[in-house]
Amino acid sequence: MTVRRLLAIPLAVCLVALGVAGCGEKPQVVNYKQGKYQGKPDSLAWENERFKGDQTAWEMQMRQRNLAQNEYQRIN
Amino acid sequence: MARMKFLCDAERCIECNGCVTACKNENEVPWGVNRRRVVTLNDGVPGERSMSVACMHCSDAPCMAVCPVDCFYKTAEGVVLHDKDLCIGCGYCFYACPFGAPQFPQDGAFGLRGKMDKCTFCAGGPEANGSEAEFKKYGRNRLSEGKLPACAEMCSTKALLGGDGDVIADIYRTRVTRRGKGSEVWGWGTAYGRPDQQPQTPPQQQPQGGNKS
Amino acid sequence: MLLTKKFTTEMGKGASGSKRLSRHATGFLAATMDRRTFLKRSGVAAGAGAALSQLPFNMISEAKAADAKPAQGGEVVVRRTVCTHCSVGCAVDAVVENGVWVRQEPVFDSPLNLGAHCAKGASVREHGHGEHRLKYPMKLVNGKYQKISWDQAINEVGDKLLAIRKESSPEAVYWIGSSKHNNEQAYLLCKFARMFGSNNIDHQARICHSTTVAGVANTWGYGAMTNSYNDEANSKSLLFLGSNAAEAHPVSMLHTLHAKENGAKVIVVDPRFTRTAAKADMFFRIRSGTDIPFIYGMLYHIFNNGWEDKEFIQARVFGMDKVREEVMKWTPDVVENACGMPEADVLKVAETMAKNKPGFIIWAMGQTQHTIGNAVVRASCILQLALGNIGVSGGGTNIYRGHDNVQGATDVGPNPDSLPGYYGLAEGSWKHWAAVWGVDYEWLKGRYVSKEMMEKPGMTVSRWIDGVLEKNENIDQEPNLRAVVYWGHAPNSQTRGVEMVEAMKKLDLIVVVDPYPSATAAMAAMVRQDGVYLLPAATQFECEGSCTASNRSLQWREKVIEPLFESKTDHEIMYLFSKKFGFDKEMFKNIKVTNNVPSMEDSLREINRGTFTIGYSGQSPERLKLHMKNMHTFDVKTLRAKGGPCDGDYFGLPWPCWGTPELKHPGTPNLYDTSKEVKDGGLNFRAGFGIERDGVSLLAEDGSHSKNADLTTGYPEFDHVLLKKLGWWEELTDAEKAKAEGKNWKTDLSGGIIRVAIKHGCAPFGNGKARAVVWNFPDPVPLHREPIFSPRPDLVAKYPSHDDKKVFWRLPTLYKTLQQAADYSKDYPLIMTSGRLVEYEGGGEETRSNPWLAELQQEMFAEINPKDANDKGVRNGEYIWVETPTKARLKVRAQVTERVGAGTVFLPFHFSGWWMGKDLLDKYPEGAAPIVRGESVNTATTYGYDAVTMMQETKTTLCRFAKA
Repeated sequence: MTVRRLLAIPLAVCLVALGVAGCGEKPQVVNYKQGKYQGKPDSLAWENERFKGDQTAWEMQMRQRNLAQNEYQRIN
Repeated sequence: MARMKFLCDAERCIECNGCVTACKNENEVPWGVNRRRVVTLNDGVPGERSMSVACMHCSDAPCMAVCPVDCFYKTAEGVVLHDKDLCIGCGYCFYACPFGAPQFPQDGAFGLRGKMDKCTFCAGGPEANGSEAEFKKYGRNRLSEGKLPACAEMCSTKALLGGDGDVIADIYRTRVTRRGKGSEVWGWGTAYGRPDQQPQTPPQQQPQGGNKS
Repeated sequence: MLLTKKFTTEMGKGASGSKRLSRHATGFLAATMDRRTFLKRSGVAAGAGAALSQLPFNMISEAKAADAKPAQGGEVVVRRTVCTHCSVGCAVDAVVENGVWVRQEPVFDSPLNLGAHCAKGASVREHGHGEHRLKYPMKLVNGKYQKISWDQAINEVGDKLLAIRKESSPEAVYWIGSSKHNNEQAYLLCKFARMFGSNNIDHQARICHSTTVAGVANTWGYGAMTNSYNDEANSKSLLFLGSNAAEAHPVSMLHTLHAKENGAKVIVVDPRFTRTAAKADMFFRIRSGTDIPFIYGMLYHIFNNGWEDKEFIQARVFGMDKVREEVMKWTPDVVENACGMPEADVLKVAETMAKNKPGFIIWAMGQTQHTIGNAVVRASCILQLALGNIGVSGGGTNIYRGHDNVQGATDVGPNPDSLPGYYGLAEGSWKHWAAVWGVDYEWLKGRYVSKEMMEKPGMTVSRWIDGVLEKNENIDQEPNLRAVVYWGHAPNSQTRGVEMVEAMKKLDLIVVVDPYPSATAAMAAMVRQDGVYLLPAATQFECEGSCTASNRSLQWREKVIEPLFESKTDHEIMYLFSKKFGFDKEMFKNIKVTNNVPSMEDSLREINRGTFTIGYSGQSPERLKLHMKNMHTFDVKTLRAKGGPCDGDYFGLPWPCWGTPELKHPGTPNLYDTSKEVKDGGLNFRAGFGIERDGVSLLAEDGSHSKNADLTTGYPEFDHVLLKKLGWWEELTDAEKAKAEGKNWKTDLSGGIIRVAIKHGCAPFGNGKARAVVWNFPDPVPLHREPIFSPRPDLVAKYPSHDDKKVFWRLPTLYKTLQQAADYSKDYPLIMTSGRLVEYEGGGEETRSNPWLAELQQEMFAEINPKDANDKGVRNGEYIWVETPTKARLKVRAQVTERVGAGTVFLPFHFSGWWMGKDLLDKYPEGAAPIVRGESVNTATTYGYDAVTMMQETKTTLCRFAKA
C-alpha cells in the first residue's frame, strides 16, 4: 500500500462527510444563473444583426408571431 | 420578460404528426431521434386523446438538477438548453425527465450530433446565433430570427401552442371559454391557475412556476 | 403509465425495441453520407454547382467547404408554393439559397390554412432533395433497370408507340394521367392524348370522386364541393359520412374544430372509430356500404316529423315526392337490419341536423368507392335538399377531394369521356375546342380511327387491365390495349392486383413517367424482362402553374427549384413526345415554347379562353399571382378580400369565375347561393336537364332566383336565341355579336353572352330545379344495393346488384351474375375495407420515400377487432395473412384494436413493394426504392364497379385472416 493510497482514504471520507452535510443545507435543485454553469455562455436571442440587441423589438416581434397561432385573430 | 412554454390542446390535437415532421425538417434531426412525438391515450376507443410532447422547458428542470457535468442552462426567456461539448451522454437526464425528452442517437454513444439531443424550443445552443456550428450541433435558432418553434407554428389545428406563456395562456383561455368546458381536462389548473378567477390577469401577477399554482 | 405511442409493434416501442429500427437507420444514413460519391459516379453531377443543388440537408455546407467553388453568401429567395398532398391547398414558403431549398416557412397569411400543416405538408421540402427519386431515364433489360439517355428514351418509346399506333390504331395505347399535375399540365395531357387520336386516357379522379362528379352534377349542375372548408365556421352541424378528415385532410380540421368550439355539432358515422370520430360530439358505427339505408333512415324521421324545408323543395327541387315513396320503405327496423344503427341513434342524427341549420354533409371515398357510389352521393344531396341546406353559407355538400389538383385535373384534365371543362365529346364540343386550339376540326378527326371512336368515351383507369385481358370480341374497340403509359399515377391504387400483373405481362410496352418510379416499375420487373421504360418527371416544386383546391379556388405555384437530377417537367416531356409524334405545331400553336418548355401562363390563358362551362375563364395568371401576393387581405370566414388590390374577389377566384378576366368576376364561394347577385358570386341551380319532365317544369318556380336578377322566374340556359327574345342582344358589342351568333353561353368565345346575362343579374346556365330523381341513371331514385361481395347473403336477395352490362365504357361489366355466383361470405366472413393514413398519400411511393414521414409508419398493418383476433388466436403485432376471394394473400402486422367493429378488417392503401409476402426491393431501379415497403391492399381487392362511372369498389369486400 503506497502512501498515496493511505492518504486517499481519509480524504474520501472527508469528502463524503462534506457531501452529506451539504444535503441538509442546500436546495436539491440547481438554480442556474446565466453564465455560471460549466458550459459555454450563450448569446441572447436578440443579440444578432436583425435585432441589434434591442430586446423590446424582439419581444414585439415574438408577440406578433405568437398571435399567428390564434386563429380567432382572423376567424370570429 | 417572456417565459417560453409549450401547451398542447388535447381537444384539438388530431395526432397528425405535423409537429414531428416540422421539427425534423427544420432541425434536420436524424432518423431515430425524436425531439418531439405525439402520444395517444385510449387509442381507438371513445375518449381517445392525443398530445404532442417534447421538452417542456421546466422551470425547475430535473435534467439540470441531475446532470453530473452541469451542462444545462436556462436562457433569459426560460428555455432549457445544454452544451454538447460538455455533455458526456451518460443518460441521467433521460432517467430524470418525466417526459422522455432527452434523445440519444441510437448507434453508439455519439451519433451524428453526438451526445444527448433534445428539443431546443428552436433556440439553438451555446454557439453564435445562427452560426453553422450552432445548426450542426443543436439545429435552427428560430428565436433569434424572431420566429417561434416550427412545430407550434405549423400545427395543423393550432393545438400545439408555443411561445410566451402569458400569450398562449390567453389563446387557450379563449378556447376554453368558447367551449364552456375544458379547464379541468388538462394542464390549465396546474400550469396557469383557474381561468374563472381573473380572465385578464396582468402579466406580473401570473404565477411564475410552471408546475406550481 | 398510460402514455403510449399508438402503434406498439416491436418496431414502435422506442428504445427497448429499437434493434431493427437502428439497423434500418444506419442503412439509411449511410446512404445519405454516400450520396455525393453516388452522384459523381452516375454522371448526373456535371459541375460543382450541379452537385450542390442535389445535395441533401446538412451535407450542403460541407460540400461548400470542400468544393470552395460556389459563391459564398449566395442569393436567398423565398418562393411561394402549395403543398401537393391533399386538396386543402396549404401554402408553403420555400427558402431557396443558391438554388437549394434550404428552409420551409409557414404562410400565416393564407386564408386556407393560416400557416398550418400536417405531417405531409410540414415535410414537403424533402422533395427538393429527393433521395429516393428516379434520377435518370431507365430501361428494363434482362430484368434489370439500366440507365439510358433522354434522347434514347424519347426515341425508343416514341418509335414503339408510333408503331403500335400504326399497327393497331391509337386506341391500343392507354394513357394514365395525373391528379398531381397542375391545371396546365393536366389540360395539355388531355389535348396530347386527343391529338394522338385516342380517348383512352384517364386519371385518379375515376377512382376517387367520379361517382361524386357524375352524381352531384346530375343532381344540381356542378359535381364539386359546394362551399369551402372555411365556410364550416358558419355552420351549426357537420355530418361526416364517409370521410376521415383528421387523417385525409388534417388541416381542414382547423376549420371543423373551430366551428365545433363555437357550437357546431360534429357527427361522425363510419364503420371505423376514426380519429375524426375521436373529435366528434357523436359517433355511430354502421356496416360498410350501407350509407343509403342510413340516409333514408334519417329522411324517414325528417319527413315524418315535418322537418323538411317545404318551401325550398317546392321552389327548387324536382322529384322529392318519388324519393319520399322510397324512403317510407325504410322503416327503423329495416334500417337497423341493414346498417346496424338503432332507431334512437338515427333519430338523434336526423334531429340534430334538422334543428341545427345550416349544416354540412361531408364525404370522401367512404361514399364514392362503391358499386352504388353514384346513388350514395345522390342520397346525400337529397338529404341536404330536403333540409334546405344547399345554396347557403354554412350548409351544403362539402366533398373533400384527395389530391392537390384532382379537382382541377377533373375540371380541365385527362378524362376519357370529355374534353376540358366537361364539354363532352359531341361534334359541337370538338368544334369548340378546335377553335380554341386554333386547329382544323377535320385534322383532329383524322387523328382518330373514325368519327365514331372520336365521340365514344374511352376506357377507364379502373378497367385498363380488362382492356388488355378481355377477349377481343367482347371489347368495344378494334384492338386490345398493347401499351400503357403511367404518367404520375400509382398502380397500387387500382383494385385487382393479381390481374394487373397478368395484364402487365401481356403488354408490349409499359412507360412510367414519375418523380418516384412507383410500384409500377417493381411490379413490371417482377413479371417482365424488357419493354419497360422509366422517365424521371419533376415534382410540382420544380415548375410553376396553377392548382385547384377542393373548394374550387385556384392557387398559383411559383417554381421553387430547377428540376433535380436529370428529371424534366411533365410539360417538357409532353412537348418532346408531341414533337416526336409530329403534332407539336398544332398542340402548342398558342403556347410559347422556350428550350422545349411550354409556357404555363400561355397554357392557362388558353384554358381561360375555352372553359366557359365551369367558369375557368376568369382566372388569368395575372389575377392568380396577385392573390398569392395579397393573401393577408382576404377574410378567412368569407374568403373575400376587403380592400387592397384584390378588393371584392374571393380567394383563388373559386370557379365558376364567369366570363373573361376583364369582366373581373370575383369567383363563386358557395354554389347556388341565391342571397347574392351572380356578379358577387351568387347563383341558383343549373337548368341543364331540359325545360320539363312528365309535365312538370324543371325550371325554378316563380320568385326563386338569385338576388336582383332581372328574370324573376325560372329560365333556361342562355344562348343567342334567348338573348334576342329578351331584347338583350343589342347590348353585345359588334365584335361580340360576330362571335356569339349561333352560339350559346358555353361556346361563345367572346364571352359576351355571359357578360350580358350577368349584367342582368342572371346565371348564364339558367335557373332550374335540382333533381332528386335523375332519370338518366340506372336507379333514378337512389336505391340501396348490396355490394357484390356482401357479408349478408340474406340482404343480397332483397337488394341485389344491377344486371350485367355487355358494353360499358367499352367493356363488359359484371354485377348480378358475379354477386350471385356463390355465397362468398361462408369462406370469407369478414368485411375488408381500406383507407388513408395521415403520414402518406395515395399509392404512397412518394411519401414512403420521405424519411421524415417513413419513420412514422414503418410497416403495413391491418386493424382487427379483439374479438376476431381472439377467435383466430392472433395477438397484437403478430404477422397475419389476409386473404380475399381472389385468393391473393397479404402478409401484414395485426393491429388489434376496437377502432374497427367485430367483423371488419381495415387496411391502409398507401403501401406497395411487397408482393404476397415477398419484398420486391431487388425489382426497383437501384437507389430508387422507397424507404418503407409493404403489402398493397389492392393486390387483394375484388371485382366491382359503379354502374355509371366505373368507380372501383374498394370500401366493401370480403376477407379472412390467419396467423402467419
